[in-house]
Amino acid sequence: MKVHVKAFATFREVMDSQFDMDFPKGATIHTLLAELTGKFEGLGELMFAAPGTLRDFVNILKNGRNVHFLAGLDTPLDDGDVIALFPPVAGG
Amino acid sequence: MDGYAGKMVYADLSARKVTIKPTPMELKKQYLGGRGFGIRLLTDMVDPKIDPLSDKNVVVYAAGPLTGTGIPLGSRYEVSTISPLTGTAMSANSGGVFGWKMKKAGFDAVVVTGKAKKPVYLLLDNGKAELRDAAHLWGKTTGQTTDAIMEELKDDKVRVSCIGPAGEKLVLFACIINEKARAAGRGGVGAVMGSKNLKAIAARGDLPIKAADEAQLNVVKDRVRKKIEENGIEKALHNYGTAVLINIINENYVLPTRNFQTAHFPNAEKVSGETIAKTILKKPKGCFACIVQCGRVHEFDGESGEGPEYEPDWAFGPDCGIDDLKAVARANNICNEYGLDAISAPATIACLMEMAEKGYVKHPIRFGDAKGMLKLVEQIAKREDIGNELAEGSFRFATKYGHPEFSMSSKKQELPAYDPRGIQGYGLATATSVRGGDHVYGYMISPEVLGAPEKLDPYVTKGKPQWVKTFQDLTASIDASGMCLFSSFALDAQDYADLLTATTGMKIDPAELLKIGERIWNLQKLYNIKRGLGRKDDTLPARLLNEPLKEGAPTGQVWKRDEMLDEYYTLRGWDAEGTPTKEKRKELGLA
Repeated sequence: MKVHVKAFATFREVMDSQFDMDFPKGATIHTLLAELTGKFEGLGELMFAAPGTLRDFVNILKNGRNVHFLAGLDTPLDDGDVIALFPPVAGG
Repeated sequence: MDGYAGKMVYADLSARKVTIKPTPMELKKQYLGGRGFGIRLLTDMVDPKIDPLSDKNVVVYAAGPLTGTGIPLGSRYEVSTISPLTGTAMSANSGGVFGWKMKKAGFDAVVVTGKAKKPVYLLLDNGKAELRDAAHLWGKTTGQTTDAIMEELKDDKVRVSCIGPAGEKLVLFACIINEKARAAGRGGVGAVMGSKNLKAIAARGDLPIKAADEAQLNVVKDRVRKKIEENGIEKALHNYGTAVLINIINENYVLPTRNFQTAHFPNAEKVSGETIAKTILKKPKGCFACIVQCGRVHEFDGESGEGPEYEPDWAFGPDCGIDDLKAVARANNICNEYGLDAISAPATIACLMEMAEKGYVKHPIRFGDAKGMLKLVEQIAKREDIGNELAEGSFRFATKYGHPEFSMSSKKQELPAYDPRGIQGYGLATATSVRGGDHVYGYMISPEVLGAPEKLDPYVTKGKPQWVKTFQDLTASIDASGMCLFSSFALDAQDYADLLTATTGMKIDPAELLKIGERIWNLQKLYNIKRGLGRKDDTLPARLLNEPLKEGAPTGQVWKRDEMLDEYYTLRGWDAEGTPTKEKRKELGLA
């Protein structure tokens, strides 16, 4: 299945801003992040405080919904998903 | 020494007389400074029945005890008055350098009453204050006014807080600008200055600002500096400015687009903080003692200026259906030069765009028309042609044409850059805001979208009234202290309490800090009730309650007022009409 990945703010300093990825059925957000952190040097450090634990204020959206309110890193990927990756950001 | 300058200026413009008095201890204890001073003085002095643009209104400038003490992000001052836009007790907050200069000139606050026969400006000068002629400044932009005062005083260290032509022409959302680009933006505080023929306040001096316990303050300063430096959010603010929010709010499908008709703008990337950083950004810029530096200095096509911050970026951009970043930046510069609130001005234009497209107003403007938008900004500032009607704000404009439902406002003030349908607690915060449509009187976006201090589900109403109350009260205290609200992404109530205790010598713990904020909030609320506001006004436009979002994850969501408002009133100790009970007033010393 095909998933569209978008990265924002400081994540763009270590990875492409958007691209498609292919995954087998059963893949999760965790699968996706493992692949990305292997592919883009420095991303793991920006994203994770410890293995499996996202840094404070890192937000990952699946089709506009924060995965924190779905199944977290175990949230399953579906064909056509748009996954948006945000480092800590704020404003107002 | 206790962090305060120790004196206040009372400027009676009608009598052209200036009086200097000590800053009362009771005022410091009960209200800290800043917004607290402003609201207390204002509500004591102004009859609730007055016309906000009459000579009976009062303008209070006030810094906080933490302003200018060298604490990171301690730079703010507040301007408080009765708003001609909302009719509420209003305070508008600004950063830059002016607040620090006001205290270096020897003053915690300036209280302006009456109306000058001819234009004047007030000079705060190393412990003294005088009213000076400003007829030669009338009609000048904020930049020209600032330069002229610096030239006249032969002093490039003097700092100027002034109105532009929009304030002179009583545009109901005219703002006050200091250092050419920092705004006390909302609620028409600039129009009240204009109504008084007060063009500017200038400040200079080198008087000391000392804390009660300098050694202890240095310890706390180091701690908060470290927390701010290590906080990931503050780093993003430095790198990308506040407009870094454009993409995350859009990706959450809560970025109001085309006057809140939808909540997703496909071309958001073109006006995002990331795009600003790689196109028009010249350098970041900070306020006094700021280690974050979220301000933007831009330069393009021979034009330079500051911003755009997130709010005007959204309002001139997606809310007007515009994806031309240079046009957005140019519109923001016009607002700074003429002294217009860069939220209400574009949001009022967006209201016209929708009404014109739907045939309720005969006008050629349409969503996406950047050139037409730029022309309208100038027309509003000069009150020319349709600009004269738009200068009354979207609510009065839309009502005049028989369709108030197209005004995306609360208490007649235009809503900021978040769609409450997909962020329930934020909706409650802005609907109950005691200054009208607003995002900085209780920034629920932080937990509901950004995940700080913890992640709250934005679609859920349960538990939100308590969060809203706490955020509103804490924010009122921060506004009273002189700290920038952005410090709260990294600091907690204990940090502010420790900073205040070391600086003022008053023993302030987190509970007392929140109590001061609650007192300020209730005082504003009580005053608004005297001006005829009540439960009916604690709401949002019908569109947000009745028309579900149609795109992305929040599809189907509306803002659920009825699930939260009664609980919020109960938590506040208010009756069903939203009036603070006798017991609550007594508890807060407001009986």
